[in-house]
Amino acid sequence: MCAEELDFVEKYDLLGCIQCGRCTGGCPVALRTDLRVRCFMYDTLNEERLEEMSEKPEIWDCTTCYTCAARCPKGLEPLEVLIGLRSLQIEEGKVQPTVRDALESIFKDGNPWGSPRAKRLDWAADLEVKSLEPEAEETTDVLLFICCTDAYDPRVMKAAQALVKVLNAAGVDFGLIGEDESCCGSEVRRLGEEGLFEMCDEENVELLNSYNVNRIVAISPHCYNTLKKEYHGLKHQVLHYTELIAELLEDGKLELPNEIAKVVTYHDPCFLGKQNDIYDEPRYIITRIPGVEFREFDRCRERSLCCEGGGGKMWVESESKEERLAEVRVEDAKEIGAEIIAVACPFCLLTLEDATKVKGVDEEMRVMDILELLAEAL
Amino acid sequence: MNMVVCVKRVPDTADSEVHIDASGKDIDKSRLSFGINECDNYAVEEAIQIKERLEGTVTVISLGNKESDEVIRMALAKGGDEAIRLEDDAFAGGDALAIAKALAAAIKGLEYDVVFTGALTDDDGFAAVPVALAELLGVPHATYVKKVEILEPGKKAKVGRELEGGLMEFLEIDMPCVLGIQTGINEPRYASFKGIKQAAKKEIALKSAADLGLEASDLGEAGSWAVLDSFTPPVVGEMAEILEGEPEETAAKLAAILKEKGLV
Repeated sequence: MCAEELDFVEKYDLLGCIQCGRCTGGCPVALRTDLRVRCFMYDTLNEERLEEMSEKPEIWDCTTCYTCAARCPKGLEPLEVLIGLRSLQIEEGKVQPTVRDALESIFKDGNPWGSPRAKRLDWAADLEVKSLEPEAEETTDVLLFICCTDAYDPRVMKAAQALVKVLNAAGVDFGLIGEDESCCGSEVRRLGEEGLFEMCDEENVELLNSYNVNRIVAISPHCYNTLKKEYHGLKHQVLHYTELIAELLEDGKLELPNEIAKVVTYHDPCFLGKQNDIYDEPRYIITRIPGVEFREFDRCRERSLCCEGGGGKMWVESESKEERLAEVRVEDAKEIGAEIIAVACPFCLLTLEDATKVKGVDEEMRVMDILELLAEAL
Repeated sequence: MNMVVCVKRVPDTADSEVHIDASGKDIDKSRLSFGINECDNYAVEEAIQIKERLEGTVTVISLGNKESDEVIRMALAKGGDEAIRLEDDAFAGGDALAIAKALAAAIKGLEYDVVFTGALTDDDGFAAVPVALAELLGVPHATYVKKVEILEPGKKAKVGRELEGGLMEFLEIDMPCVLGIQTGINEPRYASFKGIKQAAKKEIALKSAADLGLEASDLGEAGSWAVLDSFTPPVVGEMAEILEGEPEETAAKLAAILKEKGLV
């Protein structure tokens, strides 16, 4: 560890912290784990304690949902301190084997799921979709940035397939990168692997800038957030798919003739809502589907409860035996009589669907990406 | 304790489709990704852990082209001290014995107590390099090693060999020796991207066949006892029975077959 890496006080503005405790008070995982983020804001002031603090297992409980930062009256980002501590562990090579395997897989194959690059486009094998060529003369309107989870996970790829179906129905001129597409690095950064994230940033910016497109549309809020806010030198505009589809509906380019007569609620993904203020577009889309009766969760929009899928948590098992937040969410949905929980994020889709099975309500309640609802309404 | 670890960069074929190339003597590697041979990764970790406990040095050796530097750097990032890469067109086509000859020539000049290799490689799978290497170096060896206990540094170790059914065979072995390491002996650490970049500053000594003092008769096919003839895809059998129906139905049929054949 070098001195530069240890300079937490300056890097995270720790002296600005007034120890009010709103971070811990708002932290959703504080409900079920030992993580008390306020304590870390204080204890990491002492450089000599950094190593000890980085060895505490609860630093891996943080889902980087951003509630602590959103509520901090001093504008600090307590979650970043936890990511900084994770970095110290990463540099020592001391990480859970699942985290190690995910990171090595990104380095080797460009995805965290241990799948070969050669299979990255398998999800689109039967679909009408063009692959983009770098430096093409003709401009394509939209480059679809497909998340690794959408590309490889057999459940989540249905959302990506639905997106292609919807864009074709609306006559959008779009294309895919194909096998050369690599992980955006959102989870890499949040697992504390700064060096690998810099590689993702540099390589993806160079690749994405080589395409002649008007805009990039990301299917995952995690990719969206990273491309839009964390990359350096990306020249294209970045949208989340809910923004594009809301625009298509508004312009009358997308018709939804089929009725879905169900009670639908919407779970705000943290990386779309809290971190990027996209609350209205998903609701606008859902309520445009004929037959849908839309009901809000009590905890919605800025107060939405995290599903625990972000922050690299797909590869870190928490030591806590308490009920998962996704299970709490499913119970909340049941209480308001929802038959479908609509989501707009691959991680939310997986965590919430798992929770419906754990709770034994998967027969009466479906978890669907908004895209899957749209594909049914076409 | 001075240790040497032999590592190999191999294609990852676990989840990929593998096709035989036009020559019939190799597979098409154009769409495969590469990384360190799985057993070798555990061998590196074992050497580094022993170095951390008992002090000493770890020298990483790989036979391969420039691209092998990637796996060497990963081992250096984890705690390796020095590195040697053996590269020569004349090495091509060599079997496990020819590879062991090149490795032995490189290791002979070093001071070492233990040479670690993987028990076998993911590509050729001969599991013969550690045995041949020990013979050529004139030192004892143990293969499929899943436990290493250093009794007297530089002199004696107790090693556990993994046999069938999880049975462990323990033996005492004099040093210097060659140990072929099996997966699962430890939990390999992560090499961070920054660590690998820093390791890139360490020199990797390049050695050709001539540098190693090897004759043409030691190299490639001439130096091999076994020469690759051809690859053929497995023949599709006719005994497969596909069970059809609802899950409950197929499960019952499967259970009946397993019982009938005395498999459960």
